[in-house]
Amino acid sequence: MTPLRASYDAGLHLLDRQIVDHEDLPVANVDDIELLERADGRLAVSALLTGPGALGPRTPGRLGSWTVAVWRRLRPDPDPRPGRIEARLVTHTDSAVHVSARARDLSVDGFEQWARAQVIEKIPGAGRAD
Amino acid sequence: MKHIFAVALGVLTAIGGFVDIGDLVTNALVGSRFGLSLAWVVVVGVVGICVFSEMSGRVAAVSGRATFDLVRERLGPRVGLANLVASMAVTFLTFIAEIGGVALALELATSVNEVLWVPVVAAVLWIVLWRVRFKVLENVFGLLGLALVVFAVALWQLNPDWGGLWQQVTSPMPTPGEGWAQYGYYAVALFGAALTPYEVFFFSSGGVEERWTAKDVGTMRVNVFLGFPLGGLLSLSIAAVAAVVFLPAEVQVEALAQVPLPVALALGKLGLAIALIGFFAATFGAACETGLSVGYSIAQFYGWRWGKFVPPRQAARFHLVVLLSTVLAVPVLLTTVDPIAVTEYSVVFSALALPLTYLPILVIANDPDYMGERVNGRLANALGTVYLVVIVVVSVAAIPLMIITKGGQ
Repeated sequence: MTPLRASYDAGLHLLDRQIVDHEDLPVANVDDIELLERADGRLAVSALLTGPGALGPRTPGRLGSWTVAVWRRLRPDPDPRPGRIEARLVTHTDSAVHVSARARDLSVDGFEQWARAQVIEKIPGAGRAD
Repeated sequence: MKHIFAVALGVLTAIGGFVDIGDLVTNALVGSRFGLSLAWVVVVGVVGICVFSEMSGRVAAVSGRATFDLVRERLGPRVGLANLVASMAVTFLTFIAEIGGVALALELATSVNEVLWVPVVAAVLWIVLWRVRFKVLENVFGLLGLALVVFAVALWQLNPDWGGLWQQVTSPMPTPGEGWAQYGYYAVALFGAALTPYEVFFFSSGGVEERWTAKDVGTMRVNVFLGFPLGGLLSLSIAAVAAVVFLPAEVQVEALAQVPLPVALALGKLGLAIALIGFFAATFGAACETGLSVGYSIAQFYGWRWGKFVPPRQAARFHLVVLLSTVLAVPVLLTTVDPIAVTEYSVVFSALALPLTYLPILVIANDPDYMGERVNGRLANALGTVYLVVIVVVSVAAIPLMIITKGGQ
C-alpha cells in the first residue's frame, strides 16, 4: 500500500503511524495530517503533522487544550506551528511511513534536542553505542 | 551455550511475570493457604501469555513494530492514551516495588535495613539501564534468576506426599476455612500476574532490540514456549514447597523473609543462599524489565526513537524517561511503603490496561498490511479470542473481589 495510490483511507493508513527516516530510524508519529483541496474538489494529503501541537487538538477535553497550551508556552516563537513533514517526502508506507529525508534535517524533534543538550549529553557515556 | 543465551529474553520476560517481588510472596502465600488448589490458574495463565507473546513477538519480528506502536495505531490517541496511563501506572508501580524488592532481598542477606539499600539499588539499577548492553542484561539476570529452581529441588528433597499434592491440584476449590471470594481473589491475582501487560511490551521491544526479522520467528517461538512455562514452573514450585511446609502447620506467609524457609529446611544454608541469589536476580531483572518498559511504551506511543541499541544521545527522550522514573521511585520507597502492597494495588490498573493491550495485538496479528503471510492461524485466533473474553471477565471481577475480600484477607 502506498499513499501515491489514487485514493486511500488516510485515517487508517496514515494517522498514528510511526514515521521513519531513510535509515529506518524513528522520527515521530503521524499525529495529524494536513489536507489540501485540489482543483477537482478532491482532498489530498499535503503534509504530516507531528508533536504536541498536532496531537493536542485530537486529544479530548481539557487534557488536549492543556497539552496545546503547555506546548505553546514552551516554544520560543510567538505563534508556533506543529512539526510538519511535506507529503512529497513520503517514499512509501508499510507498517511505518517512510520518508526520504534524514531525521535531523526534518527539525520536528525540539524536545529530543532539548533533552539531549540539557540532560543526556551531560552524563558520561551518552555517546557510546551498545 | 549460544542456545541457552538465545532464550534469555523469554526467561527474563517470564521472570517479571511469574516471580517478581509481588509474585514471590503471593505464590508462597497461596501455597500456604490454598495448597496447590490454584495451580490450574498458573497453567491457564502460562498458555495465555504464550498466545499473546507469540503474537506480539511475531508482529515485532515481521513488521519491526513493538506493542505500544500497535496500541496507538489501532486504538487512536484517546483510548490509546487511556491505556498508556493505565499500563504505565501498573508498570511504574511494579518498577517501584521491584526496587524495594531488591532492597528486601539484600536486607535478608545482610541484615541492613531495606530503606538504606533503596538509594544504592536505584543508583546501580540506573547505571545498568544506562550502560549495560541489552544482551548482557538479559543473559545475566535471566539466567541468574533460574537460581530459583532451588525451590523445585527443595520440593523433591522434602519428599512430600505426592499423591496428596496431586489431590490438591485436582480439587480446584477453597481449602477448609477459606471462602470462595478469597479463592477468587487469588485466582485473579495469579492470572493477572501471568498476563501483566509489561511482559508483551518488554518482549516485543526486546525483539526489536535484538533486531529480529521474519527469519527469527523460530527463535522467538522457542523463547516463548520455553521461557514462560519455565516461569510458571518456578511459580508453582514456590507454591508447592509452601503447601508442603506451611499449610499443615497453618502458618500464614506475610513477608519475603518467610518465602525461602522451606528451602532452608530442605537444603540447609547453601539452599538458602541460592534462593537469596535467585530473589536478588529475579527482582533486579524484573526492575530492568519494568523500568525499560516504561521508557519503551511512552516512546512508542509518541513515536520517539528508543532502545538500548542506539547510543543514549540518539534516544535522549527515552533515556530521560528511564532516568526520571528511577529518580521518582526512590522517595516513594523512602516513605517505607511495603513494596508487596504496591504490587497488589497495581492490579487495579491492570483492569483497564489488559484488554486494551491484548485487543490491538490480536487485531494487528491478523492484518496482512503488517504481517504479509505471517498472519495468525486459526489456533492463535481461537485461543486469542477465548483469552480476550477471559481477560475482560477477570478485569471486571478484579476490583469488586479486592474490595469484598479487603485485599484477600
